[in-house]
Amino acid sequence: MRVLVIEDDREHAKFINQVLSEAGHEVAIAENGADGLIQAREGEFDALVVDRMLPEKDGLKLVEEYRNGGGQTPALFLSALSDVDNRVEGLKAGADDYLAKPFAPQELAARVEALGRRQASEEPPVTKLKVADLEMDLLARKVWRAGQKIDLQPREFRLLEFLMRHAGQVVTRTMLLEKVWDYHFDPQTNVIDVHVSRLRAKIDKDFDEQLLQTVRGAGYCLQG
Amino acid sequence: MSSGRFAFVRTTTFRLALVYSVLFGLFSFLLLSYLFQATVGSLRAEADQRLQAEMSSLELAFYGFGIERLEQSLIERALVPGAPFRYQLETPQGERLIGDFPNLPVTPPNTVGVWGNVSLTIEVPRPGAEPTLTEAEGRIVRLTTGHVLLVAIETGERSRIVRRITQAVTTAAPIGVLLALIGGIFISRYAARRAEQLTRTTEAVVAGNLYVRAPVQGSGDEFDRLATHLNTMLEKLERLMASSRHTGDSIAHDLRSPLSRLRNRLETALLGEMSTETARDTLAHTVEEVDRVLATFNAILRLSRLDAGAEGRLVRFDMREMLLELADLYEPACEDAGLKFESEIGHNLFVLGDRELLAQAISNLLDNAIKYTPENGSISLKAMRTNDEIIIEVSDTGPGIAEDMRERAKERFFRLDEARTQSGSGLGLALVDSVADLHKGEIELLWAHEEPEPFGLKTVFSLPRER
Repeated sequence: MRVLVIEDDREHAKFINQVLSEAGHEVAIAENGADGLIQAREGEFDALVVDRMLPEKDGLKLVEEYRNGGGQTPALFLSALSDVDNRVEGLKAGADDYLAKPFAPQELAARVEALGRRQASEEPPVTKLKVADLEMDLLARKVWRAGQKIDLQPREFRLLEFLMRHAGQVVTRTMLLEKVWDYHFDPQTNVIDVHVSRLRAKIDKDFDEQLLQTVRGAGYCLQG
Repeated sequence: MSSGRFAFVRTTTFRLALVYSVLFGLFSFLLLSYLFQATVGSLRAEADQRLQAEMSSLELAFYGFGIERLEQSLIERALVPGAPFRYQLETPQGERLIGDFPNLPVTPPNTVGVWGNVSLTIEVPRPGAEPTLTEAEGRIVRLTTGHVLLVAIETGERSRIVRRITQAVTTAAPIGVLLALIGGIFISRYAARRAEQLTRTTEAVVAGNLYVRAPVQGSGDEFDRLATHLNTMLEKLERLMASSRHTGDSIAHDLRSPLSRLRNRLETALLGEMSTETARDTLAHTVEEVDRVLATFNAILRLSRLDAGAEGRLVRFDMREMLLELADLYEPACEDAGLKFESEIGHNLFVLGDRELLAQAISNLLDNAIKYTPENGSISLKAMRTNDEIIIEVSDTGPGIAEDMRERAKERFFRLDEARTQSGSGLGLALVDSVADLHKGEIELLWAHEEPEPFGLKTVFSLPRER
């Protein structure tokens, strides 16, 4: 994926560059808001990573203008302001995700990955998801593994749906808490792990191939 | 400081009192002038009119029928008892023809036919006593025959009224103004004193003493309300100052140990030869440690934002669903930790709040419960409503917190000694307390169980109920 990083702090930009490059992305960097907007419009990027506080043009305004100008590339806000209000403000301006500084590199990589994927999978409305021999019918709310029906609680269903939609990508605990439970804080205990391991017990336990992997220090990955 | 004996002269209240007394004086003056005009003026006009009429009728008698007829008329009139008029008719030579006066009491005019206005003093006979003198007004005219005719009417009553009114005005008005002024001074001295107390309080605060409080007299007046508000503000300020001071110390202290651990690990790694495997392991641990430090920072950031206030985004919502979700989120984690989890969530738990913050607060309480409850224990989450409160209780079967530690347990970075070995930032309960504060609610720490001896922590989170 080609990612444009708009960040004025060079040290930070370098770090983001390294994280994303290691994750296999091609990274371009703009150092202020005005340049960022021009590059975002001219270059063909798959994702934008935008700092909230920028010289020349504020990050919020940048994304707003970019969207008003018809720009479609998904954008992720980076900000030291982690309040709900700030996040809502950012999403309203047209960003697709919001990540508070400081963040773990895996978190950033996972979210950027998810952003690019989002755009690709937006086109046809999906009714069925499939990862290896794991199948999900979104309309009937049913799940099968190797043709065998699996009973899931509503929450487990949503958890699995999210994982399947992001199959092959690393999904962090924070992402799960945000997207599946809609909470934007980190619980001190391993609540998410427990939910994931229950889900794993249902979909993987009786099968040879383990689809739901734990990625150490990062999160989970559902992969065929 | 400018607290002279006459400092009140510069106060608003005193100025108002002054303006008020001036206005009061002016108003009384106008009122009395009107009264004066209305009574004395009309009395005078009436006397004038009557004099005029009498004079005209006498002149008519003279011009129509001659001097004899005039004389006759005067005699007849003198016979009417209680008539208000006095008459005098004199010959051209100044001899008295007929009349009430021994001599003409005023100088007669020389021009014929022109009425002159005169003021004079007349005697009023009183039965069985000396006659009294009283003021009178009259008209005097020299007739065509050279005779002089004087008609006078008593005006003593009128003068007395004038005198009395004048007296009343001159004595009452200054007294009234004086009283208004004295009242103003008293009120303004009181107000000035109360304001002075508040000023003194704020001055002390500016000088750095956050522990002073403005005196509240209990009368519930504006000054008391102001003082109460000031005190509430000062309490909050004091708490904030104390907590930020404490936070500063604690941040330094709490971040120093993980950071130095980090440093040591890296130093050690640098010293010895090590396999790639060990190096990776060391780095992974290092990252974990750094993540913990970052998490603490995030928590601090959130807390300071909360303390700065964020009332603006509170909305009315039912906590039931959120609590059910939290129960659903935490139940597996409890079971995983070998704990029994029970929840009992009532209906219609409407509050004015921030869903996210409340969820985080309850989640912190549940996190703590899981962390400090030994295996085979139990945790419960209960929510109910009373008449005016929503009450959420999180209980566990852990060691609990002793009574004397409970206040401090809500402070930032406070950690019970037993808990030092556990992971955690010491900010969890402080955040819950801040969230409760923001929602005008409170948290109370109690024993969850009393028998055989007290154990277990019960946190009671109460919020104002929204109907």
